[in-house]
Amino acid sequence: MEIKKPLSTLKPNQGMLVTLLVFLLMPFVVGLIEGASPAQVWVNESGQSKFLQGLAIEIFILALYALSYDLILGFTGLLSFGHSMFYAVGAYLTGILLKSFGLTLWATLGCVFLAAILQALLFGMVLPRVKGITFALVTLGMASVFHVLVMSAELGKYTGSDVGLQGVLVPDFISPATERLRLYYIALTILVLVFMLYKRFVNSPTGRVCTAIRENEGRAKMLGYNTFYFKLAALILSSLTAALAGVLHTIYQPIVSPNVAGLGFTVAALLIILIGGVGTLSGALIGAVIYRLLDFGLRRYLGEGASFINGAIYVLFVLFLPFGIVGTWRLKSLGIKAGRERLLGLFRKTNQ
Amino acid sequence: MDILLDVQGIHTFIGQYHILQGVDVSIPQGAITALLGRNGAGKTTTLKSILGLTPPRQGRVIFRGREIQGMRSFEIAALGIGFVPEHRAVFRDLTVEENLKIAERKKGDYPRKQDFIFTLFPDLKRLIGLMGTNLSGGQQQMLAIARALVADNQLLLIDEPSEGLAPVLIEQLIKAIHQLSADSTVVLVEQNFLVASQLAEYYVIIEEGRSVRQGKMKDLIQDKETIHRYLEAA
Amino acid sequence: MNVFIRRNLLLIIVLAALFGIFAAAAQGMETQDFVITLLRGLSVGSLTFLVASGFSIIFGLLDVLNLAHGTLFMIGAYIGWTVYVRPDTFLDIVIPFILILSGFFLRDVWVSLAMRGLFAGRMKRILPWLGLLIAILILVVILPRYPIATWSVDNYAESPTSISYLAGQGQYILPPPTSFDEISPILAFGGLIMASLVGAFSLSILGGGKQPLQARISWRSFIGFTILLLLAFIIFIFNDPITNALAVLNGNLLFLVALLVAVGSGALLGSLMESTLIRPLYVRPIYQLMLTLGLSAIGIEMVRSLWGRPEFTMPRPELFAGTGEGCPAASLAGWWNYHCSTMILLDGRIRVYNEIFIPTIGLVVLIGVWVLLKRTRLGMVIRAGVQDREMVEALGINVRRVFTQVFALGVGLAALGGVLAAPSIGLSNVMGESFLLNALIALAIGGLTSYPGAALGSLLVGLLQQFIIKYGAIGIPIPYTDLVFKPTPPIVPASTILLMVIVLLILPNGLLGKKE
Repeated sequence: MEIKKPLSTLKPNQGMLVTLLVFLLMPFVVGLIEGASPAQVWVNESGQSKFLQGLAIEIFILALYALSYDLILGFTGLLSFGHSMFYAVGAYLTGILLKSFGLTLWATLGCVFLAAILQALLFGMVLPRVKGITFALVTLGMASVFHVLVMSAELGKYTGSDVGLQGVLVPDFISPATERLRLYYIALTILVLVFMLYKRFVNSPTGRVCTAIRENEGRAKMLGYNTFYFKLAALILSSLTAALAGVLHTIYQPIVSPNVAGLGFTVAALLIILIGGVGTLSGALIGAVIYRLLDFGLRRYLGEGASFINGAIYVLFVLFLPFGIVGTWRLKSLGIKAGRERLLGLFRKTNQ
Repeated sequence: MDILLDVQGIHTFIGQYHILQGVDVSIPQGAITALLGRNGAGKTTTLKSILGLTPPRQGRVIFRGREIQGMRSFEIAALGIGFVPEHRAVFRDLTVEENLKIAERKKGDYPRKQDFIFTLFPDLKRLIGLMGTNLSGGQQQMLAIARALVADNQLLLIDEPSEGLAPVLIEQLIKAIHQLSADSTVVLVEQNFLVASQLAEYYVIIEEGRSVRQGKMKDLIQDKETIHRYLEAA
Repeated sequence: MNVFIRRNLLLIIVLAALFGIFAAAAQGMETQDFVITLLRGLSVGSLTFLVASGFSIIFGLLDVLNLAHGTLFMIGAYIGWTVYVRPDTFLDIVIPFILILSGFFLRDVWVSLAMRGLFAGRMKRILPWLGLLIAILILVVILPRYPIATWSVDNYAESPTSISYLAGQGQYILPPPTSFDEISPILAFGGLIMASLVGAFSLSILGGGKQPLQARISWRSFIGFTILLLLAFIIFIFNDPITNALAVLNGNLLFLVALLVAVGSGALLGSLMESTLIRPLYVRPIYQLMLTLGLSAIGIEMVRSLWGRPEFTMPRPELFAGTGEGCPAASLAGWWNYHCSTMILLDGRIRVYNEIFIPTIGLVVLIGVWVLLKRTRLGMVIRAGVQDREMVEALGINVRRVFTQVFALGVGLAALGGVLAAPSIGLSNVMGESFLLNALIALAIGGLTSYPGAALGSLLVGLLQQFIIKYGAIGIPIPYTDLVFKPTPPIVPASTILLMVIVLLILPNGLLGKKE
């Protein structure tokens, strides 16, 4: 593989780098605006900055989650209705291990990753037999079972039943209350690393096979690829990412609500990548930003009607901007028929 | 000799692929015209473009003096064009009788045409209650053609009817198509030149999405060079 | 016969296994419990079937996963409730509704006007939008001022919860009828008719598309239009008497009306959905999914804002509500005489509405739709179209129109399920979701595009659920031990899902599904 000179990688990713810079500087800039010195921001004593950092952390977590969904749906063409389970297992397991079993953070992480891999295997297990919509239904089923388990009274001792898991003791060095800035930069770094990893994966030979599978699995098989392993690889990577997002979730918000295990949360991931652009990695990031900001803004100013607007936005995007923001932008700027056809190919039947 | 169907310079795209790059076909009324060409030349696409299933992006299709390009497929079919697709497309979950009945366009078409159809394909009468999925390939082909005869179709578009059929069945097929061509105009897509040459009076050769030759079949049969150039395996 | 067995060996084995489990389950409880649980299973299964069959036909023919199906089920229930418990509201709403609908009956006129080329070029593009804007403006002005007797979502005393409670108790007092305070009836009527005409005209130009072959104005449209107007006027003039007549009945006929209105609304909603929203998206399947999800969310929110969040009940029709003399009935004859709500069956008590009426309707629908599919031309076209849409169109059949009809049918079935379910399980914002999930599981088990598969799957899901619930109460003694296993509530959905996964692993297309 050719070693790219640093400058040549910079140019095409200008947009990304600028955004990164913005987020790197955001806490201090906001601090300055509200009149807090950088020193104050550093020790987490600035109100507005701290608040916005929190909002940003939520966005980073959502972005990670959406990225993981885009990988399996947008790139590999696997329709899953149970994606929230990947995330929820990360969130709940972290909470339970930290709270009820008192494990260290690293041990917890190890367990979560193990669980994520197991889950991916579970979902993948049915792949050889079951395709398309039926696969989606099976994943929905599995996630529903998990949701029910989490809400059940029997396991309430660990999961907190329908009230949610509360009172998780987060290690001090990344406590969202006292060390939010550190958490902010950690979350940002993780997101950047994962994004770069995903970009590498998608452009790697393995990733390209996944794209081929999305376009036409039969043809990929005929070319000699054992599509099962590739789909499994995508599932594993996706599950790990979502679980990581779940871990961050519990660290940031020491309360885990059973909603994160529900169908609604899977639908949220779908909505995010729809807004951003299915099958474009950066779409997940943009979608997460818009989604969270919209949610925040609408809830503040409209309260109850927020869900209605949510649904309306869904409908409007599907009707008028089906390729999402990044997708439509790419279409227009490419302007080549080839580009359009490539993206259009995304929306043929998933994985029949 | 009237021209029943006139295809003028059609370009058809399937996705990003420019399949038909200028096809001109004139179909004389009352005769069988064969659409010849190699695999992938665009013969089936031409039929589908006429019927509006893959509408042409450019060009005109004139049927009985009326421009039909751009019309919805069912409207085009309702003007009197019957379609016997490649791979037959017999409805597996319907019985033979239902397959015929569904092709009715006016009430009473099927009872009226019953005799004609069963004279042409006596086997079908015996199989009338069977499900489409239980028919053999040859029987399905008979049914597919019979289905196109139920409604009053002046034009029949038949795509590769001999494909996958045993020689003895092909004989029967040729006889049947001969008989029904007495009343209708037929456009026959056939890769099997032997079949085509026995049936068709006129021919059109399609090569790589363009119509390259037209004329009378009896002239083509003698023209070894053209046959070799356009119809034999490359 | 041998060929049949050989081909379907796996299916036969699975069915035999299921039957074996079923028989074993029967052993574990007394006969009367078994029969009652069986009937309950049939009841839930029937409701699930109503949702599942509609979904399956829509998916089979249109390749659309209508994830809004559960919400439509729920809307059917809420509409049925409104007609049944508040007929005054229903009548008040019907009038403007009919008026708005009337303009669309003159479609022929609009189409031919448009074709005459009265408007050309730029005018042609601006005019419909202008017309639409005008129509919407008129509606926005008139509708809020139009008097409709409703309830209050915020005020508990006047909320649907209280109303239902009172109705259930037999205290059925309708609020005084509203009057045209803010707007004169003539203005309202005229405005609505105008809005309808202008709106329908604009929409038909916008939806225009290709020019149809004929543009004849048929006298039928004018007759239809006039009939609608007359109907609206009659209902308006006789509003009070009709309301009183309906309210006094408080029973079977009103329930029937509620059923019909719910189904009709469902069909109408379905056609609307299909022609305006789903149709443009046929080329992009995954978007239909997202679209129906979005519609579902919107639907739930609208129901929440109109009827409020709290759950409430719907009283049973008089035919199944008796609790007085002669009840519980000893037999069906006894029920017929005294209209008892419960009946004694083999020493056990069953609710006539839940356990007998609902499965009966389920059976009727099952047979009815079966007849439709197998013996009518439409059914033939549907069955053929599920297989090969293109070929059906090549035969000269307007498949798109069939799509709309099928969508309407599917949604109508779901709405029927909702209305039927309401007196049995009450009304809530989430009733749709759970039934949709059940229906999807049933379809996965039975075969996604198979009609008998939908029936079989729904039956299995209903039975399994009820049996597990029953065993949750009485416990399953584990042999050779003293332990008794009592399935807890979470196991109920988990078990049906487990069944689905097992069936799918053995038969990936469902029990009766075929390979596509």
